[in-house]
Formats: sequence, structure tokens, C-alpha cells
Amino acid sequence: MPTLNRRTLLGAAAGAASLPVLFNPARAQQRPTTIRFGLSAWPPNLQPWVSTGASAGTVKLLIHRRLIGFDEKGEMRGELAREWGLDAQGAWVFRLRPEAVFHNGERVTSEDVKWTIEQMAAERSTAYYRQQMQQVERVETPDAHTVRLVMKEQSATVPLWFTNYNMGIVWRGSRDMNAPIGCGPYRVTSQERGTWIEVQAAPNYWVPGLPRTRTIRFTVYADENLRLAALQSGDMDMIEYVPWSGMAAVEANPRLTLATQMGPFMDILFNGTRPPFDNPLVRRAVAHAVKREDIVRVAFSGRGKVLEGMPISEGTPWFDPELARGHAYDPERSKALLAQAGHPNGFATTLLAASQFAMHKDSAEISQQYLAAIGIRAELQLVDWSTRVSRGIRGQYDLAVHGVSSEFNDPDGLSVVMDTSLSPAHGRSFGVRAPRTTELLAKGRQEFDQAKRVEIYRDMQRAALEEVPLVGLAWREQGYGFDRRITGFANLPAALSTASGALLEFAAFG
Amino acid sequence: MRRLLLPGLAVLFICLVAAAAPLLPMPDPVRQDVANRLAVWLPGSPLGRDEFGRDVLSRLIWGAQSSLMVAFISSAIAAIIGTMLGLLGGWFRGVAEFLAIRGADVVLCFPPVLLALLVVTLLGPGTATLILVLSVLYLPGFIRVSFAEVLSARSQDYVEAVRALGAPTTRILLRTVLPNIAGPVLVQFSLAVAAAVVLESGLSFLGLGVVPPTPSWGLMIRGARSTMEQAPMLLVWPCVALTFTILAMNILCDAVRDVADKRGGGGAKRLRLVDRLLPGLFPPPAAPVPLLDVQGLTVEIAVPGGIIKPVQDMSFTLMAGRTLAIVGESGSGKSMAATSIMGLLPPAARVADGVARFEGEDLLRMPEAQRRKLRGGAMAMVFQDPMSSLNPVHRVGDQVAEAIRAHRDVPADAARREAVELLKRVGIADPERRARAYPHELSGGMRQRVMIAMAIANKPRLLIADEPTTALDVTVQAAILELLADLRREEGMGVVLITHSLGVVAEVAEDVVVMYAAQVVERGPVAEVFARPLHPYTRALLAAVPDGDAEPEGIPGVVPRPDQWPPGCRFAPRCAHATDACNQAPPALEAEGDRAVRCIRWREFAP
Amino acid sequence: MPWIVKRIGVSLLLMWVVATVVFLALHMVPGDPAELLLSTGGAMPDAYAIAELREKLGLNRPLWEQYLGFLEGLSRGDLGNSLVDDYPVADEILLRLPRTLELILAGTIISVIIALPAGTFAAVRAGGAFDRVASSLAALLQAVPVFVLGTLLILLLAQTLRWMPAGGYVPLAQDPVRHLVLLSLPAIAIAKGLTATVFRMTRASVLDALSRDHVRTARAKGLTPQRVLRRHVVRNALIPVTTVLGLQMGTLLGGTVLVEYVFNWPGLSTPLLRAVEGRDYPMVVGIVLTVSGLFLLINLAMDLLYAALDPRISRS
Repeated sequence: MPTLNRRTLLGAAAGAASLPVLFNPARAQQRPTTIRFGLSAWPPNLQPWVSTGASAGTVKLLIHRRLIGFDEKGEMRGELAREWGLDAQGAWVFRLRPEAVFHNGERVTSEDVKWTIEQMAAERSTAYYRQQMQQVERVETPDAHTVRLVMKEQSATVPLWFTNYNMGIVWRGSRDMNAPIGCGPYRVTSQERGTWIEVQAAPNYWVPGLPRTRTIRFTVYADENLRLAALQSGDMDMIEYVPWSGMAAVEANPRLTLATQMGPFMDILFNGTRPPFDNPLVRRAVAHAVKREDIVRVAFSGRGKVLEGMPISEGTPWFDPELARGHAYDPERSKALLAQAGHPNGFATTLLAASQFAMHKDSAEISQQYLAAIGIRAELQLVDWSTRVSRGIRGQYDLAVHGVSSEFNDPDGLSVVMDTSLSPAHGRSFGVRAPRTTELLAKGRQEFDQAKRVEIYRDMQRAALEEVPLVGLAWREQGYGFDRRITGFANLPAALSTASGALLEFAAFG
Repeated sequence: MRRLLLPGLAVLFICLVAAAAPLLPMPDPVRQDVANRLAVWLPGSPLGRDEFGRDVLSRLIWGAQSSLMVAFISSAIAAIIGTMLGLLGGWFRGVAEFLAIRGADVVLCFPPVLLALLVVTLLGPGTATLILVLSVLYLPGFIRVSFAEVLSARSQDYVEAVRALGAPTTRILLRTVLPNIAGPVLVQFSLAVAAAVVLESGLSFLGLGVVPPTPSWGLMIRGARSTMEQAPMLLVWPCVALTFTILAMNILCDAVRDVADKRGGGGAKRLRLVDRLLPGLFPPPAAPVPLLDVQGLTVEIAVPGGIIKPVQDMSFTLMAGRTLAIVGESGSGKSMAATSIMGLLPPAARVADGVARFEGEDLLRMPEAQRRKLRGGAMAMVFQDPMSSLNPVHRVGDQVAEAIRAHRDVPADAARREAVELLKRVGIADPERRARAYPHELSGGMRQRVMIAMAIANKPRLLIADEPTTALDVTVQAAILELLADLRREEGMGVVLITHSLGVVAEVAEDVVVMYAAQVVERGPVAEVFARPLHPYTRALLAAVPDGDAEPEGIPGVVPRPDQWPPGCRFAPRCAHATDACNQAPPALEAEGDRAVRCIRWREFAP
Repeated sequence: MPWIVKRIGVSLLLMWVVATVVFLALHMVPGDPAELLLSTGGAMPDAYAIAELREKLGLNRPLWEQYLGFLEGLSRGDLGNSLVDDYPVADEILLRLPRTLELILAGTIISVIIALPAGTFAAVRAGGAFDRVASSLAALLQAVPVFVLGTLLILLLAQTLRWMPAGGYVPLAQDPVRHLVLLSLPAIAIAKGLTATVFRMTRASVLDALSRDHVRTARAKGLTPQRVLRRHVVRNALIPVTTVLGLQMGTLLGGTVLVEYVFNWPGLSTPLLRAVEGRDYPMVVGIVLTVSGLFLLINLAMDLLYAALDPRISRS
């Protein structure tokens, strides 16, 4: 049996006793036993490990449990894992809660965890974390409730991998991945494709007193104005993605609560495989060209914050106020950089954006105007989302406006957006060479010492400000609006906001 | 033409303003000024600023340019190609029809949004794509409308006539058929333009329309929706512009249609206009009361150039049981006179002066309700073209029975039996079966017999027959005239027979009124007039038509248009005997015994 | 009935053309269902996962092979399964089609009740006050986009006054009253455009009928103005209006997208839009085939009705 090494910076989990809210059973009779939740999009499917968006994540977080989750402050807290850490040999050890059972009554064992990891890493897998799971050299199961992961390569963020909403642990006997057997607080009881999903408390859920609400009924409201209207008219008790223009109205409404977090952000991506954006000077010129306040005001009704450096949240150890202004609005500097790059009179290019999303369109329109001011005449190419994804992956663009979020609040979560050496994706710049950024991201990932990591990530920001794998535009608030009487729910901070659905097990009226 | 003026000006104004956008002293429509975002009013921005702080008025006007260009061009493309395909399909039938109609069906099968999505995704969004999508979407509408209209126009007399003359197909299609289907196509066009602007906004709403920052009304509406609660006026302005444009387009298209369509509109409204006239100004004259006594009848039509008088100072008297013929070339006003007596004038025309006493009561000043009771009862009318004068969607027996029940309180089945009797009476073989036929299932002669049956259903004392045989074959003409003569004898009706055929006059009439250019030029007993015509026009008519069953030929020239009447004698320009005196002043109608003539030189020619 | 047989044959041919066009167009437009599915919600999948999913969905077979497979399935009456969640396309259509039809029918009824009398009256008093006001209103109705009207209705009735729910759907069997309440707003929105169209068609058609010779005949018979209007004007004018209405209803089948979107009415248009956005080929083709089939059916019905209404059209 391996001994746990407590030098890890990622602490042990809080026990079930420290659950945030206690409920009052005496009032249970008067309280509604159903929460009606307005989703922004229909989950294309509920396969546990395939990423199908945040709305699907919200539902999946209720029917599955991960090894590790978050508390309302965004700190890691064990879900299926009681505790975890590195052992002396440098392997990650997770100790499971023995009381956990699947919906079919089977106990959750280390074999299930092993099977889940192997399924995700399998040759034909389409799992979101397939690549990461392939970093696991082997999974050992010393006993029924201990899992030992031997990694091919050291990484400080392994526990964070297991917090993703596409990381639900599934019973090893499951065969149909459209109807896998999980161990979460809820089970899907009925649904109508494209319209609504109803989940009900799993009768054998293994955490006493949870979930607090018997039924959660998710209804899809694709139109943000209608979603807001449904909340205001009382059709819905809770909605996600409160439109920015409506946040003030929700705040002003005495019946409603608005919970927002500054999480996701907008950025400009480059095609670095061809001139002019293969030149970092030109990319820096773009970075200094856009006045971000306008985007915050127009696209987000002021419900955002300028992003003039790399997307590191203020208030985290990695944040540096100086570096955060590294790409501050300075058109004169932009012009100088352009001249230095050999484009004193600017040039004509294209700007790709998704037409369906107002925030993409608005950010693109404003960027276009400011780019024109320094001589970059960008023709706006508004395409449907599918085309946007396709052209992004294939590098069929010059400039692109995008909205994205970090994977998690550790700066390594930014690798997915900033590491341009990864395979082409629509949310990363295409073929931009940023070798120092990539190198420092890798270094930070492998470093376990907090102080050293802070330094590495500051260096990374410095490198990125010069290599410009992306140009940050604006942080945006991510908001949940809900009935004032609902307690126990919280919007998780920063990048975790869209994963707040996991806290619905603590939510209830009263 | 006045009806065209206002909406025409409005549309022209919109187009001009849109076209003049670059010349107007306005702020740049794409210039953002986020600091003044959603401002309600700013100096230089009377309509305020939008969500990007751009000038709303400027965007509205520039938006008109892109929106209207897209709407007009796409509707025009669809209209031209669609109408052409419809024309060809409807005219040639066969393969052309299959391709046109099925092609339209294929387009219609696609949900419009899907079509737009696919095309926009394939070609990328933009004005050109939008025009393509919209024109494809509206194509089927035009194909169908023009196809249907061509089908019906094909069988119309005027088309048949032009065809019979051997005109080339393209000429028939473009000169004869196209103007006649223009009405529905124009309506379709106005609908398409309006819908195009709205659809443009819908596609913009889905992110498939005009590419920002180019202003368009659709994009403005889309953008305003999200700030609707903070800045409602942003939504109002483009909607107002759109409403105004659509309204102007609709009215213009209606007006163009009415002008293109000579038949004019709105018959029922005129029913009321007439009944506002005061009843009976003149006391009835002493006995013996003539059946119909028309004095000084004048009809006016208001046209943009002023007022024309298709019937002027017309007088004649018909005694019971006699037949009076009104004869003249097309355009002489004879039919207008007849319809004014019946109170069936087309909407544009009105009786300006005169009296028409029917058994002593003035028809022209009688309340409409009272005159309606006379119509089809004591006085009836038979029209020129029995095909168009019968309602195509009702069985002929029902149409006859309807005439009976309009005047007598008879049960439906009794009326139907009586209708069959009437059909038998007008010489229709197998009346039981024919009563159940639709008009298009009968021959021309038979239809006219039905019309006559309808007219005599309530034993009228006066029958006005307006060219009852013109539209019929020669062999049938004689039979119909014979029928009319028989009926008159048996029923003792007075008949006013309107015709251009002197042969017909000689055959059936006792008195004759010759009309030329809205005036009576000669009047008298048939035998005398034919034997001793006093007016050069009458003489010319008699000379020109030896056998008397075709339009008069051989008189040089045509009847002048009502707005081009000469100041003196109206026949003078065509008269072989005209002198300077004839052109000086209009001649009066001079009475001589039971004859009357309107010619200053009649005495010189009197044989 | 050889005529009917021929018509059905032609319709099947048309549907094949439509299906083929949609199939080819979908495969030509940029965007890949596998990429899209794995990129939902901003996720950035790796290239292996995408390739794997393409393999699973059979998307890397040659196009002609996919086409033949699709035709083969079609010939068995199998519309296939969704690429996104393997849900049978036919089930989805069967569930949602009735709701779209209900919406269209309700909208049509509303618009006919309003537009037929109004159009007739406006034509009879052409140029009068009513005509002007109604024509302006019709233009206004045409000018206000359906998504604006929808948003306004919701803003007023749901958000501000809280008289009505803000869209949604409840099955009739579950709660008939709420079902009708929820139906009313989208039906009004559908009726908006239709009313304007039917009003203008009716007005034009009645004006045209009014000027016909047989109306003069009817008046010459001494019929009352009301009877002339009813039997000889409106009856004849209804024929073109009916066909236009039928055509409009057919077009609406796939044209309720914005209304369904704005009022969250779970009809057929929403999945169509979503399927196109997600490049869910079988779902798109299945829905388009259904819509076009229904459209052709309505067309056939309209032709039969036309023949019944207008005795001049005879078929043998």
C-alpha cells in the first residue's frame, strides 16, 4: 500500500459534513419540490466523456460523479475521491469513498475508475480527455477503493483533469454510452429530444440528505431574450447564460437573484502560416489597436472587463498588474509596429466571426473599426458556426474573433487556448509560432512548487505578450439568474462558472 | 393617372433619398462612437445613436439603399424570370409547362430558411448571395401567377383574335398577353418587395443577411431587438421606414394595376353614388305615356385630363310593344346610354343630366332600392358577351332561378322548375339537363338563350338588348334575333336593340336612332330612314354595308376619341361634304315630323 | 384515376430531386458533423477524436457510397438516425410535425377570419376610409418582422403584465387550457404575415370580380347588393384566394422557424435549423423530405379543391 505524500499543494478533500447549506425539513411541505431550469442549448447527447457543451455538462454533472469536484469557492473537493495525492514513487493515488454506489446498486470500486480511464484512453475513443488519459501509463488498483495512476510524464494538474464535467465515472458494466450507468445524485427520468429533460433524485444516492430537490426539469430556451422572459414571468425558476443586456433587470427584480462571475473572455486569433500575421510584430500591432472598453460596453452592456494582456484572472497568484496591461490600447504604437513590420500603410485582410452569436459579431465589428484606424482594412466574414469551426480547424482565415474560457482556474488551463503547438482547433490561433510560450506552459505544468510556478507563469505571460498567440479583448460575466428563494446554489468563479451545475444537488427552495 | 401620382412620388422619393445617401450631409453610417451609445438625441443626430453609437438617421438612409436594392433587384429578377417562365409554360404547355411548374415546385418544396441557410453557407453571406436567395425564393410565386393568368388569357377573345390574325408568338405574348396579366404580377411584385425587406431582416436575425457594418433595415431591427427595453425608438425607426415603403409600394402597385386594367374597379360603391341623386324633378307628362322616354341624357366620366361625355344630350321615345334600334360604330356611346338607363354604369361614369322616364317614372332619380326592383323585373337587359356575362361558377339553371327569386317570393324548387320552363321557352333542347350545366359547357348561342331566359323570367315590359348577337356565329345570330322577335310579339315587350349592324336594324326594328360620337345624329322610323337617310353618316353607313352584318367599313378614319372631338360637327373630319361652316359651331338636332337630324346641310342632300 | 397516379409519380420524382439536392448541398457546404459535435460549447477536440468519430459515423466513405446508402435506406422507408445522438429521424418528425401543423392551422384560421371579411369590405369600398386604414395596417403588419412582434408580445404580456407564459409548449392531453394559451401567441405571430397577404389577395381578387361582366348581369337581374356580393363576387373571388392560401400554408411548413424560435414552440422548424447548424445530414434530409412531401400533398389537395370550386377546370 503506497503512503500518501502530503507535500502536494493540492490538499485533501473536505468531508461530506462540511456541506454548505443545511435545509429545514419542517418547511419541506410548502416548498416546491421541482426546480425548473432554463437551459441555453439542447445537449446534443449525454455521452459521459464526449464533450458536447456546457449545457450538456450541467445535466451530466447531475447524473455522474467525478473523482473530484469543487466547493462554492472553486476549491477542489472530493466527490468520489476521499483524498488524493502523489506517493513516494511519483504516482497519483486516489482513495475512493466506500459508500458510493451506482444507480443500479453496484458499489463504486477502483475497477470502475480503471475501466473508465481505459475507455477514455482507448484507440477508438472520442473522449474529450483522451489525450490526457493516454498520458496515464497504467492504472493500478491495489484494493477496491484505491486507484494508483502511473504517469508517463509528470504534471501538477492531474487532479484538475478529474474535475472536468466530461470525466464522470461510469459503471464498468455499462455498454450503451447513450445510457451509461452513473453514480450522481440524479437520474434522467424523461425527456423530449430538443425540448426538455427531467431528472429526479436517485433513490440510492449515497450522500445523506442530498440532493435537496427531488426533481429538476430542464427546458431549452435557445433565444436569450425568451430565456430571460421565462425567468421574469416565473415560467422558470433558474436560467443559465443571463443575457448581458438583461442582467440589470434581473438584479433590480426583488424576486430574483443574479449570480455572476467574470470567467470567459473574447479574443482575436491569427493564422500564423502566412503573411502578414506570421509576423509577431503585426500581431502585436493588432494587440495595441483595439480599445477594449467599447467591446465591454457594446457586446456586454458593461458586464465585462477589459482584457489587455493574457487571460489571467485578477486576484489569482499568477496575476501581475503590469503584465495585465501589456497589450494596452495604443494606436500610435500599433502604427509604429506596423511600420517596423514593413506595412507603414497597412494592408487589407479578412476577419472571421460566427454570425449567430451577437458577442462574436459585436466584438468583430468594433475590432474591425479600430483595426481600420491603424490601417488594417479587415473585411468582415460572418459565417454560421459550423463554417466558423470548419474554417478555424483548417486555417482558412486571417483573423478570427472568438469567445472561449480557460479549462480550469490554474494557468495550465490556458494551454488549450494559448499552446499553438497543439493540433489545429477553431479556438486556437492556426500555426502561430510561439515556442517560448509553449515551452513555459509545459514547464509550469511539470513544476509542483507554487512559488516557482508563479514565476514561470509570469515569464510565460511576458513571452506571450511578445509572441502573441492570441489577443485578449474582454472578460465577460457569466450569469445565472434564479428565484430569490433558492438557496445552496453558487456560480463558481472564473473558468469554472459553466461547471456550476454540479452545485444544483445543494440547491432547493427555502 | 392622378391615382398614380402620389404613391409614385412616394416611392420615387424613397428611392431618390436612398440613392442620394452619399450626397447628403450626414455622419458616416459605420462610424462608431461608443461613448454616445444609445443616445436619444445629439446635435447632428436627430434620431439619436444606435448600440455602437452610430448615427441612426444616417444608417436609416444608407440602410434604405442596401435594403431596397436587395428587395427591388431580387423581386425584379424573380418577376422577370418568373413571368417569362410562366408565360412560356402557360403558352406552349407541354415540356415548357412541366419544367416551369415543376421547377417552381422544387423550389417551393424547400423550407425557405433552409434554402437560405444552404445558399448562404455555400456562397458566404453578402448582398449578392442575399439577392440570389430572395430571387430564387420568389421565383415560384411569379411563375405560378403568370402561368395561371396566361392559361386564362389564352382562351380570351382578344387573344384568340390576335392569334387568328397570325401575329408572331413573341408579339402576342409581349404585346397582348403580358399587359393583361400585368395586374396580378404587379400585386405579386409589391408583395415580394415588402416580403424581401422583411425576410432580409429575418435572415439578418439568424445571422445570414447583409454583412455588418453595412447598414440595412434588417440589421438595424436585429440590433435594436436586444436593446429594446433601453432604447425602444431604435426599433421604431426602421419599422416605420419599412411600413412606409411597403405601404407606398402597395398603393402604387394597386394604382398601376387599376390603370393597366381598363375594366376599373369598385362597382358596388357606385350603387350608392347614384342613389344620392334627387328623385323626380320633372312631373310625369300627360298620356299617352310612352314605355321609355329619354330626354337630354348626358353621361360624364372624370378622367385626369378633365371630363369627357360619352353620351351627350340623347333623346328618344319608345312606345310599348315596339322595337327601337340604336345604331352606331364602336365608341359612339350607345352601350353607355343603355347601361345608364339600367343604372349599371361602370364606376367611373355618372349621369350628369337628363331624364329617362320608364312608364312615367324617372329612372335616373329613383332610389336605388326602387330601381333595383325594376331591374330584372319590369325592365331587363341582355348583354353582348354571354360567356363573360354569366357567372362561370354557378349552374345556368340556378342563375335563371335566381332572377326569378329576386323578384318573386317563390320556393327554390318551384323557381328551378320555372327556370327549366324558361329554358325550354327560349328554345333550349333538353332543358332539364342543360339547367344543370355550367356556362362553359354550353355553346355561345345557347348561353345567349340562357341570358334571354334570365331577362324574360319576370315578364319585363322593357327589354334592352346590347349587341346580343355580336359575339355569336353568323348562323346563330339569326336564330337569336328571331327568338327576340317572337318573344316581343308574344309578351308585348318594348325592346331597345343596340347594334352596329344595319342589317339587324332592318330586320327587327321599327324605329332607329343613329349615334355618332356621343350624339344622336339621326332618328326616325326605320323604313323612312333607310329609304331616305338625311345625315351623311347614315348614308355612309348604309352605303358601306350592303349585306349589313359586319362592322361598317369604307368610311375613312375612325370615331375620334372623346377628348379629341372637333369643335363643330363631330363627323366633319370624316365627312365628304364638310364645309368650313360645319367646323364653326356644333350643329343642333333638328326635328322634322317624326324624323330628326343633326346636320346643317341636310336639306341640301335630302333626296 | 390515371391523373392521380401521374401526379403522385411526379411528386415522388420531385421529392427525389429535392432529397438529392439537399444531400449534395449539405455535403458541399463547409462544416463537418464530427468536428462540430466535438466542438460544442467551445471545446477544442484533438484531431484523433474527430477522425475517430468520422469513422464511426461513416463520414469518410466516398460521397457516392454514402448517397447510395441513403437512397437504399430511403427505398425501405428508413430515414435513418441522427448523427448527433443516433435518435431515429422518423420518431423526431412524428413527434414534432403535428405541432407545426397545429400552429399553421391556428394561424391560418385567425388570418382567414380577419382577412377575408376585411379584404372584401376594403374592395367594396375601395378608396374609402376603411380601405385606407386596413391597407395601412396590412403594410404595418408586413413591415414588423415576426421576431420583433414576438418579442414585443412577450415583453408586454409575459414580462411586464405577467398575464401569459413566455412561450413554451404543453401537450393538449396534459393541460388543454394552458395548451391553447401557449398556442395563442405563436399563432398570432404566424397569422400576422398571413393576414396581410390574404387581405391583399382578397381585396385584389374581389376588386377583380367586381368588375366582371357577370356581376353586371347579376345586378341587371335586380339582385340585392348583398346577394350580388355574396354569390357573384365573393364566391368567385374565393377561388384564387383559396389557392394562394393553400400555397402559403405549404410554404409555412418550413417557414415557421422564427416563430418557433422566438416562442420556444417545439415544432419541426427548430430541429431543422439545429440539424443544419450541426450538419446532422440524415435529420435535415428527413425533415426536408417530410416537408416537401406534405407540400406536394397540399398542392394536390388544392388542385382538387380548385377543381371543385371552379367548374371550368375539369379533369378527365
